[in-house]
Amino acid sequence: MLSVIRGGRVVDPTASRDAVGDVWIEDGRIVDPVGQEPDRVIDASGCVVMAGGVEVHSHIAGGNVITSRLLLPDLYVSEASPEGHPFAHAGGAAGWIGSTYARMGYTTAVEPAMPPTHALATQLELADIPLLDRGALTVMGNDDQLLQLLRERQGGNAVRDLVALSVATSRGLGVKCINAGGASAFKDGALRLSLDDEIPVYGLSTRQIMGSLLDAVEEIGVPHPLHVHCNNLGLPGADDSFVETLEAAEGRRIHFAHAQFYAYGVTEGGGFRSAAERIARAIADNPNATLDIGQVVFGQTVTVSLDILRQFAGRKGANPKKWVLNAGDAEGGGVVPFLYRPRGPTSSLQWAIGLEIMLLSTDPERTILTTDHPNGGPFTQYPRIIHLLMDKSERDREIATLPGVVGERSGLPGLEREYTLSEIAQLTRSGPAKLLGLADRGHLRPGACADVAVYRDTPDRTAMFTAAKLVLKDGVPIVEDGEVVEWRAGRTLSLSVESDPAMAKRADTYLTDRFGAGLDSFAVPDAAFDADADTFEVVPCRV
Amino acid sequence: MAAWVKGGATDAGTAIGAAVSLLAKARAPVIAGLSADVAAIRAAYDLAGRIGASIDTAGAVGTYAELGALSRVGAITSTPAEAVGRADAVLVIGAAPWRTPLLQRLSETKPTRGRTSGSDRALLALGAGADSSKATFSHPAEDGLAEAVADLRAYGKGHLAGDTPQAKLVAHLTAAQYGVLLYDPAELGELGVEMLQGFAMELNETTRCFTLAMSGADQDRAVVPVAAWLTGQAPRSGFGRRVPEHDPWRFDVARQVAAGEVDAVIWLAALPVDRPDWLAAVPSVALVAEAKASLADVVIAVGRPGRDLGGVLWNEQRAALTYWPASAPTDLPSAASVLGSLRDRLAEGRAASRSEPAC
Repeated sequence: MLSVIRGGRVVDPTASRDAVGDVWIEDGRIVDPVGQEPDRVIDASGCVVMAGGVEVHSHIAGGNVITSRLLLPDLYVSEASPEGHPFAHAGGAAGWIGSTYARMGYTTAVEPAMPPTHALATQLELADIPLLDRGALTVMGNDDQLLQLLRERQGGNAVRDLVALSVATSRGLGVKCINAGGASAFKDGALRLSLDDEIPVYGLSTRQIMGSLLDAVEEIGVPHPLHVHCNNLGLPGADDSFVETLEAAEGRRIHFAHAQFYAYGVTEGGGFRSAAERIARAIADNPNATLDIGQVVFGQTVTVSLDILRQFAGRKGANPKKWVLNAGDAEGGGVVPFLYRPRGPTSSLQWAIGLEIMLLSTDPERTILTTDHPNGGPFTQYPRIIHLLMDKSERDREIATLPGVVGERSGLPGLEREYTLSEIAQLTRSGPAKLLGLADRGHLRPGACADVAVYRDTPDRTAMFTAAKLVLKDGVPIVEDGEVVEWRAGRTLSLSVESDPAMAKRADTYLTDRFGAGLDSFAVPDAAFDADADTFEVVPCRV
Repeated sequence: MAAWVKGGATDAGTAIGAAVSLLAKARAPVIAGLSADVAAIRAAYDLAGRIGASIDTAGAVGTYAELGALSRVGAITSTPAEAVGRADAVLVIGAAPWRTPLLQRLSETKPTRGRTSGSDRALLALGAGADSSKATFSHPAEDGLAEAVADLRAYGKGHLAGDTPQAKLVAHLTAAQYGVLLYDPAELGELGVEMLQGFAMELNETTRCFTLAMSGADQDRAVVPVAAWLTGQAPRSGFGRRVPEHDPWRFDVARQVAAGEVDAVIWLAALPVDRPDWLAAVPSVALVAEAKASLADVVIAVGRPGRDLGGVLWNEQRAALTYWPASAPTDLPSAASVLGSLRDRLAEGRAASRSEPAC
């Protein structure tokens, strides 16, 4: 079927396009105008037309997310189910995640923390998120098998083969390391870890583990650079960890997760002040690096992380006073409820720092909007954050309600910049799609997936981006006037990666000895998914 | 397909038709048991959400001892493989964990990972029923398990002191570098689990010590995550008002049946669990692997996952959901497919009734 979205303001920074025009769609793909009558005309006059949003870092599935629902069953509000999906309005559930993202114009979302030991459960959960295409990053960096290889100096090829095997077995879209070595160190009694601290028993450092993973990702040709959660998240002076980690990358591609939580310079009294300028400058000076923000928003949330060192330290600040820590296989994890106190000095400064990093960015395509859902707050706050980025007066109104520390310890009040729609599209579409290596997403050029969001162009950007007028997924309308109209399933994007049979054999022996069950029990087979659904879509490696 | 209606053998279509008739009349149906693979659990939730049923599980006693404590205080936990690889001290609480394969493995091995690697492992016992050939130190807990754990916690906090067996147990765990507290939630009970988690959390002020729960023969460990991702809530929830309502008291199926609140039950046991007594008291449909004509008003034999057909099940040894291929494939239908048929047939019926003119 040939369709045209006609007369909207088409915003596609990858084609330097920001003008009223048409977008043509045929068989689920964007096409050039074909000079024939379309079967369907979609009137977009008065609207903004963008590619579907792409999420790179949102905790939407996995063991910690499950635990957070059980620990805080009242965190989200549930409403009566709509026609067509029994649980789409069940707060925090997979159906709610898919429909809420879709209503905001997002069409792809990535869970950034999938431990290989629990890949099947994570993938099954992702597959139950409707409407969106999904993916997950395979987490490595604390597992005994990897650390043994490094301790015994078995060489880069062995690490590469183990990483490739882990990604292939778990059907990941990329690789992430989380406070590399930190979980292992915690189990052996450590309470803090910096880049060059020795990890007990193994005689390794985060620098060595991360460096080996950076090399492995490049050798395998994983399109997404290594996704790095640094040491010392949330501590005053974490900006040093960020910059040292960037330097340790030595020019290799690297993505920094939730950078806001590291943009904390230490003050004389041991408190923190914004290091947004330092972080923004470091990224500007290093084209090999990207970051996502981890913007804080005010209110109750729950923090979920495989960084058990950080979560163990954070337990004392749990609000309400209950928490879960799992010293699990390899990574483990922690779930700590947290209240970003409205108008509290600490949360206000964190809020300001996130916005500051984005407003100081010289390249929004390398500065991805996230809240690290739910760690900085829920992803449902993206429209409000976009509003604040686009409207200086709206920022000033909010800053006026906040304590003076925002002006004293951050530069936010002095920043005049207002994001354009093109820059918003870089922050939420083209940037994350490029970062994930998804060449046919995040833009509206011919050949792209027809994942398209149409928004009413109103000054209230919060309202505009909360409920899209129309969202197409693969050319099919899934949202109209802010409501889901077609409950279709998306696909799970997973990397096509060859694994070495010799490493598979070694891993099978190792796993059988450790778990009493071999590599098969870590597999994510097609047979585990709905037989009538085409769950997985292969993404090729870089050549 | 083996199927029975009111004790008489019949074909699949007739049995499904009878089940649809039974369910279509129900105003307060329940899907119970859920001892099944993930596909069937998902299908059960989908059906419950669409017909307004509530859900309860076969292992709810243990599951609620865990979940109740979890939602009040949280937890600090380890895994079987980590316990085997790292634990230099294991406190076995109650009798049930002594009968598990994990306990056997713990008794036969020494730590091999981390700072405890190569050291000896002490197996300590709290409560009656310990295997005296394996336990290096025992304390019988005559006043009850939960009380005994509370005692240990008081010693750990310094609220109690003295040269007692409890003090020795606490001293052992405090001196350990990776302690594990092994328990069966159904045996320990909700207050005991809450006390144990508090004890473990406090031990971690100075060392590493984690709890590890054993599960029952049911598939509750698979139901809980699936329920959480599908509905945002733990099981024992109802969908009669089109909103997931989580209420462990209200949706306890045994209580509901006793109170006369239930008018139809689907008993789902693709993996064998004990048949509850209350099943005979309500109109019922049983989807079971080990089928018997007398089990329910309508009985449909389904394949057992991991034997007759492949499926994702809780793997106790791995503490994870894993896929089990069919070990001896048969052509029995999957529970998920039967539940899907029921859903489709009930939806057709409702659509037809809506299209009839109102009088």
